[in-house]
Amino acid sequence: MKRRSIKSVIAACIAFTMAAPLTAGAESVLRIGMTVSDIPQTTGQANQGGEGHRFVALQLYDALVAWDLRQSDQAAELMPGLAESWEVDPEDPNRWIFRLRRDVTFHDGSAFNADAVIWNFDKIFDEDAPQYDSRQASQVLNRIPGVGHYEKVDDYTIAITTPTPDSQLPYQLTWFMISSPARFAEVDNDWDAFAANPSGTGPWILDRVVARQRAEMVRNEQYWDEERIPLTERLILIPIPEPTTRTAALISGQVDWIEAPPPDTIPRLQSAGMQIVTNVYPHVWPWTLSRVDDSPWNDIRVRKAANLAVDRDGLVSVLGGLATPSYGQVPREHPWYGNPEFEIRYDPEEARRLLAEAGYDRDNPVNATVLIAPSGSGQMQPLPMNEYIQSNLAAVGINIDYQVVEWTALRNISRIGAKAPESSGIHAFNHSYGTSSPFEAYTRFFHSEMVPPNGRNWGYTDIEEVDDLLDRVLTTFDLDEQSDLLAQVNEILVDDAHWLWVVHDVNPRALSPHVQGFIPPQSWYLDLTTVEVK
Amino acid sequence: MHIKVSDMKKVLAPSATNMDAIAATPMPPNAPTYWYLVGTRLMRDPVTMFCAFLLVFVVGLALFAPWVAPADPLEVSVMNRLQPIGTDGYLLGSDRLGRDILSRILHGGRISLFMGIAPVLLAVLIGGGLGILAGYVGGMVNSAIMRTMDVFYAFPSILLAIAIAGAMGPGISNGIIALTIVFIPPMTRVAESATTQIRKFDFVEAARATTSSHLRVLRVHVVGNVAGPILVYATSMVSLSIVIASGLSFLGLGVSPPNPEWGLMLSDLRESIYGNPMVAILPGVMIFVTSVSFNLLSDGLRNAMEIRQ
Amino acid sequence: MLSYAFHRVAYAVPIALAVSIIVFALVHVGPGDPLDAVLPDEASVQDIERLRAQYGFDKPIPVQYGLWLGRAVQGDLGISIGSGRSVLAEVVDAAQNTFILAAFAFILGFPLAIIIGALAGYFHGSWLDRFLSAISVTGISIPHYWLGMVLVVLFAVEFGNLPAMGMTPYGSDGWSFSVEHFRHLVLPLLTISAIPMAIVARVTRACVADALASEVTQALRAKGLSEVSVFLHVLRNAAPTILAVMGLEIGNLLGGSILIETIFAWPGTGFLLNEAILRRDLPVLQGAILLMALFFVTLNLIADLIQSAVDPRIQRT
Repeated sequence: MKRRSIKSVIAACIAFTMAAPLTAGAESVLRIGMTVSDIPQTTGQANQGGEGHRFVALQLYDALVAWDLRQSDQAAELMPGLAESWEVDPEDPNRWIFRLRRDVTFHDGSAFNADAVIWNFDKIFDEDAPQYDSRQASQVLNRIPGVGHYEKVDDYTIAITTPTPDSQLPYQLTWFMISSPARFAEVDNDWDAFAANPSGTGPWILDRVVARQRAEMVRNEQYWDEERIPLTERLILIPIPEPTTRTAALISGQVDWIEAPPPDTIPRLQSAGMQIVTNVYPHVWPWTLSRVDDSPWNDIRVRKAANLAVDRDGLVSVLGGLATPSYGQVPREHPWYGNPEFEIRYDPEEARRLLAEAGYDRDNPVNATVLIAPSGSGQMQPLPMNEYIQSNLAAVGINIDYQVVEWTALRNISRIGAKAPESSGIHAFNHSYGTSSPFEAYTRFFHSEMVPPNGRNWGYTDIEEVDDLLDRVLTTFDLDEQSDLLAQVNEILVDDAHWLWVVHDVNPRALSPHVQGFIPPQSWYLDLTTVEVK
Repeated sequence: MHIKVSDMKKVLAPSATNMDAIAATPMPPNAPTYWYLVGTRLMRDPVTMFCAFLLVFVVGLALFAPWVAPADPLEVSVMNRLQPIGTDGYLLGSDRLGRDILSRILHGGRISLFMGIAPVLLAVLIGGGLGILAGYVGGMVNSAIMRTMDVFYAFPSILLAIAIAGAMGPGISNGIIALTIVFIPPMTRVAESATTQIRKFDFVEAARATTSSHLRVLRVHVVGNVAGPILVYATSMVSLSIVIASGLSFLGLGVSPPNPEWGLMLSDLRESIYGNPMVAILPGVMIFVTSVSFNLLSDGLRNAMEIRQ
Repeated sequence: MLSYAFHRVAYAVPIALAVSIIVFALVHVGPGDPLDAVLPDEASVQDIERLRAQYGFDKPIPVQYGLWLGRAVQGDLGISIGSGRSVLAEVVDAAQNTFILAAFAFILGFPLAIIIGALAGYFHGSWLDRFLSAISVTGISIPHYWLGMVLVVLFAVEFGNLPAMGMTPYGSDGWSFSVEHFRHLVLPLLTISAIPMAIVARVTRACVADALASEVTQALRAKGLSEVSVFLHVLRNAAPTILAVMGLEIGNLLGGSILIETIFAWPGTGFLLNEAILRRDLPVLQGAILLMALFFVTLNLIADLIQSAVDPRIQRT
């Protein structure tokens, strides 16, 4: 080769390699920095909690029932997914009929039908089936307690029988993702091979995964919902667990979108032109209070005083505005809030009055030990927040002593209940929760039958009226009537000052100015199909 | 850092002439001459003296922090979050919760220095003791002790500290235990090698022949001569200990909030680096300054102990 | 020499065994249930028991150790609780990425450190020495994770000419020798090499200074050898020690990677370990620490053998 040619080749190579690190060509790419430290499971059911479900499961796959994630002004509601409609058999409240959507194909081209759905149920329930996957089963089994027995009725109809009448089945099925049986057979019944080359019905198709570094997806041009074919051609997910690294990555242009930017970097992000997107969503950040014998929270006046002592607006400003005050288990505007009589607000005078009435004063303050963790999924900024609350409560005469433990230890305590020996001496703990469904918001915490080991009723709540209302919810199949019942539950709990409610998270994200079209829903999940990168 | 016996001899007692020099001048039981020499040499070295004073100052500030600090390091003030340096009432600025950084650095110094010095002290006592024992007694005891230390040498120190602290959970005492375990093996090696050296000298043999008490021999002859290398090594270990301890807190092990500790403060202030960079780097500067001072002091000691003929 | 080699190798076996015991004990000593981190919120007691049996956590500790060791010897280090993949595959995968960092630090950083140290030692006492020594002391005193953060803020965010994180640019699968890849390498490399380089420089300086002052060197000079030859002779004498320290500082590279890799999202063993500690992924913790320690044992072994081959006087009894 002539020297000049060599030089020009070299020059071209250098120019090429010095180019900015975007993918070649005019393909539109959306690069998202997630908070998890590894790519979530891509086989159907995702691990890594909410982010796994949000960015992998719901993008590559669909469930029978979906969330409507395309509006911001009201709480996200259920809508048909791979099931066009469902109803309870009028003669048997335990039996549900699901009519499946036709003309849906998996990414590999095979057809979606009732056989595929049954196959997927077997994937979770039938340990002898070749497609049984314990990893997926462990992620979803507890979310679908309503699936007792399942059967195919015809090619596009299936029936599910619940052990007891359970109006919550549609909520539960939003977790159950449908993987392709055909692809599984193609990869010789190996879930690890499937994970590298997955096939679902979702709006995105997995292109490649580099472990711990990147997952790249391309849009599914054949997606069954024509309104939801992605506007962007390629989606790249990058795990960046370190918050300041995420911020650096966004500002330096390595990613277009980051989850959970650290609050104190928000001014810097804004000055760099980034969009900070927030919306309230079904999340609550409370203290769960113990009601066992030695607990200082047994006196309602003490509970009310605690709720009145916290300056929620002040806390929101400490968090840079990235939260909204919480006055109950769900936000005030939510249909399940109702109209309680006790108004949770910031009123330290009233708090002190109540405490005095209960027999406490400066020399005899309330003393409580509270369990907290320095981090954790959904916990927001636990340490500054709890320190803030501690000083608020101290100002009215409630002394809080914190026991700081690892997040996993905290979760363990939250599972075993206030009466367990490991919980002795602990009067409350701080653990945030998702409240997307009636079960998640109320039943698992406040129904008297959900005490450990059955559920998360840590404090041993036992209110007959609440039990009664929650039982009725299970047999009320109309969503509006369900809301009325739940509002009554919320009213009872708020009037009882049952927990210390502090704030709701607003799910902050930071987007580069090039990202347009994103609709932040009032949900833990989101729809990436409307997003464009200009 | 772990260095083998042979390397130790070269690095710590830098020249072969050193040990020979000591041997050539047989030392009477309570020998002030050697340490006196070391002392005067030290005082003539400006860099080392400066570091020594700096350290005394830092340690003093830390010890007297409760009286010197202008504010309560734990007091939260929502209104005054992330103030820059020089704000009225917040001389070095404030952190995410409005706490005074200057006070937190002073109080934090107590914890950071404690976590730097305590493990090294413990390691000197335990490791030094074991090493002297191994070197003095020799034989099976020596093998048993040194082989056990070898096993711990298989782990890189930072990794071992994190693994132990990670296993035991957060907390100052767990952090100190982890660091002590990490430092015992190298300290044992230093002590053992120095003791083995000394033991061979004639005057020790002579002393053992004349006195029946091993303890007396140890105290009078061995410890005094072994103290030198141990001291040098220990001072260089303190800086590493401070850095690793702060690293543990940075990871969420070691010290837990709201206690001020320099490493934990670095972790806390990580995010402020975008808004208030000066404030965010302050704890790092403290760690750095203290670390450098200990290292230079260690160097100075070593130089001073290097008596050439 | 051969018998020493044989003894040394044979001696490594009980060490490895003891290391495995310590690793296992460390990881199981901790508080809390190993399964906690992985279970979804809604896990019932039944699920927990089922998973526990599946991973063998229901057996007594010595039995668990025996089973683990038995499988480990055959190359099966279990399954990661967090990701479901084989631990061995995870660790090897991650180790390759850390190896890239370590290799470059070794190839680029250490020779530079030796040069710095040699110069400082040769001109012992001069201003050059003081200057270079100051740099070395800075290197070992700086908390390197903090240095990493500062470098990212300066070069990635403020100046914007280097990537803030990650090992590979988009569109590539693994490491390759392209300019893009090197741009990703610069900041982590600087950060992770600081302490080991500084230690190597200091030791080199001490050795060179010693050797220069020794009687042998003075004799050589008296004989009329050129300065260059004297210098080379000095280096040759110092070589075994320097090599030994370099070998040991690879350990610092491995250990320091835990903090650095998390900051740079560099998918190596440090990143893996950090996540494993946070999530208490015991199989990964055990497997990764064991492999790293065994690697280190092997490294020590090789370093000892090389050293004794080069200088037969330096044999430990």
